[in-house]
Amino acid sequence: MADKESFLHLARPLGPAPLGAQPSTAPLNVVVQPQAIFSILDHALRRPADQERVIGTLLGTRSEDGTEVEIRNCYAVPHTETAEQVEVDMDYQKQMLQLHLRANPREVLVGWYATSSDLNTFSALIQNFYGQQGDGTWPHPAVHLTVSTDPGKEIESRTYISAPIGVTAERAADSCLFIPVPHELKYGEAEKSGLELISSAKDREDRSQPIITDLEALERAITHVLEMLDRVSTYVNNVLDEEAEPSSALGQYLMNALSLAPKVDAADIERDFNNHIQDVLVVSYLANTIRTQIDLSNRLATAALTLGTGDAITGDGEQQQRGGDRQRGGRGGRGGRGGGQGRQQREQEA
Amino acid sequence: MADALKDSPIKAVQVEALVVMKLINHAAKTFPTVATGSLVGMESLDQPGLLEVTSCFPFPNVDVPASDDHRDNHHNNNHKDLAAAAPRAKANLAYQNEMIKFLREVNVDANNIGWYTSTSMGNFINLNTIENQFFYQKDPNEKAIALVHDVSRSSQGSLSLRAYRLSPAFVAAYKEGKFTTDNLQKSGLRYHDILIEIPVTIHNSHLLTSLLHQLPSDAPKEELSFPPNLAALLQDPNTPEPPFFPNYDSLDLAIDPFLEKTCDLLLESIENHHTELNNHQYYQRSLAREQAKITAWQQKRKAENAARTASKQPLLPEDEWQRLFKLPQEPSRLETLLNSRQVEQYARQVDGFTAGVTTKMFAVKNNLLPGES
Repeated sequence: MADKESFLHLARPLGPAPLGAQPSTAPLNVVVQPQAIFSILDHALRRPADQERVIGTLLGTRSEDGTEVEIRNCYAVPHTETAEQVEVDMDYQKQMLQLHLRANPREVLVGWYATSSDLNTFSALIQNFYGQQGDGTWPHPAVHLTVSTDPGKEIESRTYISAPIGVTAERAADSCLFIPVPHELKYGEAEKSGLELISSAKDREDRSQPIITDLEALERAITHVLEMLDRVSTYVNNVLDEEAEPSSALGQYLMNALSLAPKVDAADIERDFNNHIQDVLVVSYLANTIRTQIDLSNRLATAALTLGTGDAITGDGEQQQRGGDRQRGGRGGRGGRGGGQGRQQREQEA
Repeated sequence: MADALKDSPIKAVQVEALVVMKLINHAAKTFPTVATGSLVGMESLDQPGLLEVTSCFPFPNVDVPASDDHRDNHHNNNHKDLAAAAPRAKANLAYQNEMIKFLREVNVDANNIGWYTSTSMGNFINLNTIENQFFYQKDPNEKAIALVHDVSRSSQGSLSLRAYRLSPAFVAAYKEGKFTTDNLQKSGLRYHDILIEIPVTIHNSHLLTSLLHQLPSDAPKEELSFPPNLAALLQDPNTPEPPFFPNYDSLDLAIDPFLEKTCDLLLESIENHHTELNNHQYYQRSLAREQAKITAWQQKRKAENAARTASKQPLLPEDEWQRLFKLPQEPSRLETLLNSRQVEQYARQVDGFTAGVTTKMFAVKNNLLPGES
């Protein structure tokens, strides 16, 4: 989805807006986080049946000089649009912004989104509202993100900033020139595991996926790597058999990759392997021992100890209870020391 | 566990992809502080028992300690505890209600159905979690869940997202607030029964599925033209980025941090357990002391009464000891129960980790030392 097109940004004469109220039209780079896109798509699904598009506010961070904008979050804003007029719930927008800023104090208002690729007069009006002084993004330009959500078509996203246009001040209020700016979709390290699970559901009929265990994930990753290795080795074999066309660049790349393989002594590997496998097993063993001990201690604490006398009368029961507790204390303590030793041992090995 | 799940009004939880992303982002942003927030959604109409989590929002950061101590006085002003206690703070309840009111206007399923929290290495079974979940679940009809996202484990590969509810037996016991040995004997409540885990599935919307198909996923299958040189190859747009699925992070071989952390946490649990035991022993000792005193007093009174009978004087009452002596209060066993459950959680986690890591290690060994398999 990230646009690979190149952008050319041209300076142009500005409209008649009063000097000083001019938002900057310097080019900027926009980074969109998947969370924002997901949220926009969700909003598009929940739009009122009679509305073509819905809009919302984009939140995110801006670099100090204002040339990098990261869209991190967004929320929906109710609006109604007819052929003649557009109404945006300003009050809602303001209050929602405040609620969001309370939870995410570091994010700022960066612009707005619409769920259709069309730009029209109303877009210009809303754009000017978001870019205005006071509540808007001024002196930075408001970013407008459009995400097309036509069923059956590819989802296309575009980002714009705007420049004032129009002959008179009145005309300038409801018109503006949208300037496309480059944007890309980026995800963070932390989101990777989530995206993995989400995209593993994309080929399924019911579009859902149970949480996969670590072992399953490992298995899939290994299968995938093996497939890729197979593909490469088939190609290399074909080249050797003079069936496929050789490429020096590919050869060089493969050589570079192969030279990354560590050269280590077999004895070292053997030793490291044994050390580590022992660590793992010791910790696993200890954890389970502790679990058993604690289970035992809980059972002893709540079991009605009778010692075969039939019924435990209060006084006796109390006495034996205490015995049980004392025993428990001893065991718990021993478990603790055992854990401590295990750790020291492990640290020596590491 | 399986039986417990049958009785629960909620049998499965379906989480929208949006919620997963929001949760991960929030947790990553606040790590290592606990991130908490509210879940909204509804019970599925066609499938009773399936809870659909369709959206969520974070609770505001807690800066004002004064706003947040109506149930939590013993937790001092520790910031960590405040963040963990956020879901039941008054200020946040107001925030939640307001947020839900606004979300309703844009057609989000505006019912609160629980809360989420982030954790590290499964270290989430504590009084805070229990109190939060109890707060949401105390109403018998309340279908509230707790979603727990493990930041540390998710960073090692596959996503760790779990849904929990308190078991009805535990809720009943917690309402009474009595966790004495006698009560536990009678109710048969054990630490296994505190939390019920509910299976979680991830669900994508149609639009999202369509978007995902546009994202880079796999190496192109068709024949590509050859790059002229190495630099061109590195910049080639056809060179696929690592796909989301499968995630190569799960091939990572770093095991020491995990083991170290687990050991630390286990030690901590054992220490807690030990403290609780000492408390209990102290109670037993003082109880025995008091009882010895009472017996001595009773014998003295009996002897006195015998002397009085002999001298035909009126008898002194024999049950006066109830006023004179006060038996010590038995300390609550709740902390011990939670601690035990926490240890069980760690042990299971280690088992799962061992399974994966031994496989990887043997694979690496055989790969680096071919011919020795």
